[in-house]
Amino acid sequence: MKTSRILATATIAAVSVALTGCGSKGEAGGDAGASSGTLTIGASISLTGKTAREGVLTQEGYQLCQEKVNAKGGVKVGDKMLKLDIKYQDDTSKPDTAASLVDQFNDQGIKLILGSYGSANTEAQAAVIERNNQVMVDSSGADNNIFAKGYKRTFGVLSPATEYAASIVKAVAELASPKPTSVVVLSADDGFSKRAADGAAKAAKDLGFTVLETQYFPNGATDVSASLNKVKASNPDVIIGSVHLAEGVAIIKQAKELGVVPKVFGETVAPPTPDFVTTLGKDAEGVLGSSQWTKSAAGSDDYFGTAKQYDADIQAKFKHEAGYHNAEASAACLAFVLAIQKAGSTDANKVRDALAALDAPSFFAQLKFDAVGMNSSKPMSVIQIQGGKQVTVWPKASAEAALIWPGTTK
Amino acid sequence: MAQGLRRSRTHLAWNDQVTGFLQATVYGLLQGGLLALVAVGFSLVWGVMNVVNLSHGAFVVLGAYVGWQLNISLGLDPFLGMVIVALVLFCIGYAVQRFLINLVVNGPIFITLLLTFGLELLLVQGMNIVFTANYQSIPTSYAGNAIVLGGIQVPLGRLLAFLLAVGITVLLVKVMANTRIGMSIMATGMDRGAARLMGIRARHVYALTFGIATALAGMAGTMVGTVGTFNPAAAGGFTLLSFVIAVLGGLGNMYGAMVGGLLMGLVQAWGGYYLSGTWVNALAFLVLVIVLMFRPSGLVGKAFYAARVEV
Amino acid sequence: MATVTPALWRRWGPWALGLVGALAALGLQTQLYTGQVRTVATIFMFVALALSWNLIGGYTGYASFGQVVFFGLGGYFAAVTMTHLHWSFWVALPLAGLAAAAYAVVIGIPLLRLRGHYFAIATLGVAEGTREVVINLDGLTGGGGGITVPTVGAAAATKYLGNDGFYLVYLALAVLALLITGLVSRSKFGFAMRAIHQDEDAAAAVGINTTRTKVLTFALSGLLTGLVGATYAFQQVTIYPERLFDVEITVLMVVMVVIGGSGTVLGPIIGAVALQFLSEWLRQNYTTVHTLLLGIIIIIAVILLPQGLVNYLREARRNGDYSLLANVRRYRL
Repeated sequence: MKTSRILATATIAAVSVALTGCGSKGEAGGDAGASSGTLTIGASISLTGKTAREGVLTQEGYQLCQEKVNAKGGVKVGDKMLKLDIKYQDDTSKPDTAASLVDQFNDQGIKLILGSYGSANTEAQAAVIERNNQVMVDSSGADNNIFAKGYKRTFGVLSPATEYAASIVKAVAELASPKPTSVVVLSADDGFSKRAADGAAKAAKDLGFTVLETQYFPNGATDVSASLNKVKASNPDVIIGSVHLAEGVAIIKQAKELGVVPKVFGETVAPPTPDFVTTLGKDAEGVLGSSQWTKSAAGSDDYFGTAKQYDADIQAKFKHEAGYHNAEASAACLAFVLAIQKAGSTDANKVRDALAALDAPSFFAQLKFDAVGMNSSKPMSVIQIQGGKQVTVWPKASAEAALIWPGTTK
Repeated sequence: MAQGLRRSRTHLAWNDQVTGFLQATVYGLLQGGLLALVAVGFSLVWGVMNVVNLSHGAFVVLGAYVGWQLNISLGLDPFLGMVIVALVLFCIGYAVQRFLINLVVNGPIFITLLLTFGLELLLVQGMNIVFTANYQSIPTSYAGNAIVLGGIQVPLGRLLAFLLAVGITVLLVKVMANTRIGMSIMATGMDRGAARLMGIRARHVYALTFGIATALAGMAGTMVGTVGTFNPAAAGGFTLLSFVIAVLGGLGNMYGAMVGGLLMGLVQAWGGYYLSGTWVNALAFLVLVIVLMFRPSGLVGKAFYAARVEV
Repeated sequence: MATVTPALWRRWGPWALGLVGALAALGLQTQLYTGQVRTVATIFMFVALALSWNLIGGYTGYASFGQVVFFGLGGYFAAVTMTHLHWSFWVALPLAGLAAAAYAVVIGIPLLRLRGHYFAIATLGVAEGTREVVINLDGLTGGGGGITVPTVGAAAATKYLGNDGFYLVYLALAVLALLITGLVSRSKFGFAMRAIHQDEDAAAAVGINTTRTKVLTFALSGLLTGLVGATYAFQQVTIYPERLFDVEITVLMVVMVVIGGSGTVLGPIIGAVALQFLSEWLRQNYTTVHTLLLGIIIIIAVILLPQGLVNYLREARRNGDYSLLANVRRYRL
C-alpha cells in the first residue's frame, strides 16, 4: 500500500540524514596544525560588499606579515619553527557573517583570530570570541564600545575612536597661525563616527574654539550638500569630517560646488587612503587627515624594519603607497607572532596572557594593551595632502614638513 | 535636537536664510535631474515590458566604469565619451534581453526579478574583479566649478548633467511618439499579442527597449562619475533609487521619471536643510507612501500599467 | 452531492512527512560541529522567513517587497525591551511577533488597496522609511550605533542560548511556519487567498471578504517574520538598523520562494535550503568569486525552471514531459 511505501522512504531518508556527518560533535583537532609544522590563524575579512576596498587593504597587511615572518623561518614555538598560514574567509562586509565565520573557524580548531575590518564587524566577532574561548587581535575596530563590555580576549592595536578627529583639532590648535576661531563637525551617523565626532567637539571646546552644532548625515551618503549648505552661512574656520571614504570625498567635492571655503578641511579615515587623492586630484590639496600610522612613525622591529622600509615593501608588493589600513593589519599579525613566541605555545589561554603582558616596539607603534585591551597609549598622527602626497605634520616630533596654512585656496 | 536647530537658525540673518533656501532648491533640482536620468531606463523597461530589472544599478555603475576607462585610456572628456558609453551599453543590453531575459518573459510574475537578481550578482562581482573595489571618479577641469548667480552657486558639472537629462527625456518622448520604432515599442507594451499580430517582432522590440534603457543607464552612470564617486558596491543604491523614482512619477508616461526625480531631489534638499540630515531618507520614503496612497498610479502615470495581466 | 474523502495517505501523509523531517532535523544536531550547527540554524531561519513571505506573496499574490520591516521591528522590539526593560527573551519573543503583526494590520489596511508592482514598492517604501525612523530614535534604539542586548551579568534576564539553543528555536519557528502554511493551504482561508490571487474581483463577487483575508494574511506573515527577527536580534547580541532592515533579506526571501515554487508548501523550504546551502558552500570554497558563481547558477536555474522547482515537477508529472528544453520553450517569448 502507498502509505507504507511513503513512510518507509521517509524513515530511510531521515535515518540516512541523521547518519551523515557521522562523527563526534564539538570541536575538531585543537592544536591548529602544530603537529604538521604550520601555525594557522583565521581571518575573516570583507572581500566583497560595502567595505571591500578597506578589506582588501587589510588583507594586504596580513599577507605581507605572513611573508616577512616565513622569510625568517616562521614562528618560534618552544623549540619548533612553525610556518605561519593565515586562512581567509569573506564576510561580505556583514557583522553577522563575520561572527558566524569565527564560529566556523572554531570548529576547525582555529583559536587564534585576526579581526575583520571595521568596528561593527569586530564588535560582533568579539562577542563570539569571548564565548568560544578564542583570542582575537583587532586591527581596525576602533570604537571604544568594543572594549567597554568587559571582554578579556580581544586586543586592539590601534588608537581608540575618540582620538581620530580630536587629534586633528589638537594639531590645528598647536600649529595653525593665525589661530582659527570656529570649528564645526560633520559626522556620519554610525557609532564609530559619532564617537570620533564627540571626541573632536570636546577637544575643540577644551582648547577654546567656538564649536558650532554638529551636523549628521546618513552613513554612506554620497550627498552631503544639505549639511554643507546649513553651515555655509556661519562661515566656520575649520570643518572636521567624521566620516569614511565615500562621505569624505563627497564633502570636499560638494563644498567646492557650493562655495563653502573654510580655512582648512580635516577628515578622519578618508585622506590617508590612496583613493582620496586619485578621486579628488587637485582638490585634495591641503586637506588634513588623521592616521593611525604614517611613513615617518618612529619605532622599528625585526620583521618589518622601520616605517619607511614597510612603505617600500608595500609599494614593491602591491604597487601603491602604504596606508594605515595596511599597517594596522600587519601590526595585529605581528602582535600575535610576538605573543606566541613569548608564550612558547599556541594554546589560546597562554597566548591571551602573553598578549595582555605584551610591550614591544614595532614599525607601527609600541604594542602595549591597557586593562580593557585597547592600545590607548598610542598617539595618532595628523597628515596633510601636499603635492598629492601624504605628509606628516603632527606631532611635531615626527613631522616631515610644516603645516600649510590656510589649507584651502579661494 | 530641535532646540539646537533653533539656536543655530536664529543666528542667521533673514538674507542668509533665503539664500540658503534658494541654494538648497537649486541644488535639489539639479540633483533631481540626474536622479531622473538614472531612473528613466528602469521606468521604460518596467512600463513597456513589465520587467522589474534588479540589475539596473549595476548597468549604471558599468556605464560609469566604461566612461572612466575611456577617460583614462583615450583622455576622452566624459560628456563626449558618453556617446560611446551609450553605444557599448546598448549592445550589451540588447544581447542580455534577446538571449537571456526573453527566455523567461512568459513565466510567472517576478521570475524576471529572479533572473535580474542573478544578473546583478554577476555584474557587480565581475566589476569587482575587473576594476577592483577602489572608489573612482572621472576628473574634469570644469565639473567642480560653479557659476554664481546672485549668491547662489550653480555647479557646472551638475548643471550640464541636468540639461542633458532634460534633453534626453524630451528626445525620448518625441521618439516614442513620432517614430515607427517608438510606436512599435509602445504598442508592444500595451498588448504584446496584438502587436505581434500586426507584424511587430516582439523579441526584437523587447531587446531594443532594454538596450535603450541600459544605454540611458550608462550615460547616467558616466555623469554620476563626473560629479561624484562610484564603486561596484554602489549598484544596489542606484537600483533602489530607480525603483522609488519610477513609481513616484508613474509608469506609462515618459515624463514620469523626470517628475519623480525632480520631486525626490527637492524633497531631499529641503528636508536636509530644515531637518537634521539623518531624517532625509525617512522623509523621501514618507513622500513616496503618501503619493501612492492618493495617486496609486504615481504622479503622472497611467492607471492601465498598474495591474496588467500578462498575455 | 456527496463529498469525496481523499485517501488516508493523501490526508495524513504530508503531516507524517513533516513530523519525520522535524525529527530528522533534531537528530542532525547531534552530528554537527558547533559552527555547522550555526550554519544549519541560519538555514532554518530562512526556511521560516521564506514560508512567511509565501503566505502573502505566493498564495495571495501580493508580493511584499518590504517584508523585512517585520523582521526589523520584531528584532528591535525584542532588543529594546530586553535592554531597557530587562524582559526575558521568552516574554519578548511572542510579544515581538504580535507587535509586528499589529504593524502589519496598520500598514496593510491602506496599502493592500494597491495592486501589483505598486503594492510592492509601497511596502518597500514603508520598510525603508521605518528603518530611517528607527535610526533617528537613537535614544531608544541606539540609532546608527546599534543596540546591545545584555547577555552577561545581572542585567541579562535570559542566559545566552548558544548555538545549540538557537538551533532549536529556529527549528521550532520553521516547524511553526510549516504548520501554519500547511493548515492554511488546506482550509477555506487558503482557498480565499488563492482566489484573490487568481482574480480578485471574481473572488469578491463570489462573496469572499477580500480586505479581511488580505489583512489577516499580511498580519500572519508579519507575525512569523517578526518572531524570526526577535530571535535573530538575541542571537546577534548587537544589532544595527542597516542589517536588520536590509532590503537584501527581502530579496533573498523572494528568490527562495520563487526558485522553490511559490504558492506551495514545499517550495519555499526547498528554495531556502538550496539557496542558503549553495551560497554558504560557494563562499567557503570559492572565496574570491562566490557571488559571481551564485549569480550564474541562479540565472541558469531560473531559465531552466521559471515556474520554480515544485511547480515544474507537478506540471511535468501531469504532462508526462520532464524535458527541460521543452520547459524553456513553454516560457520563452
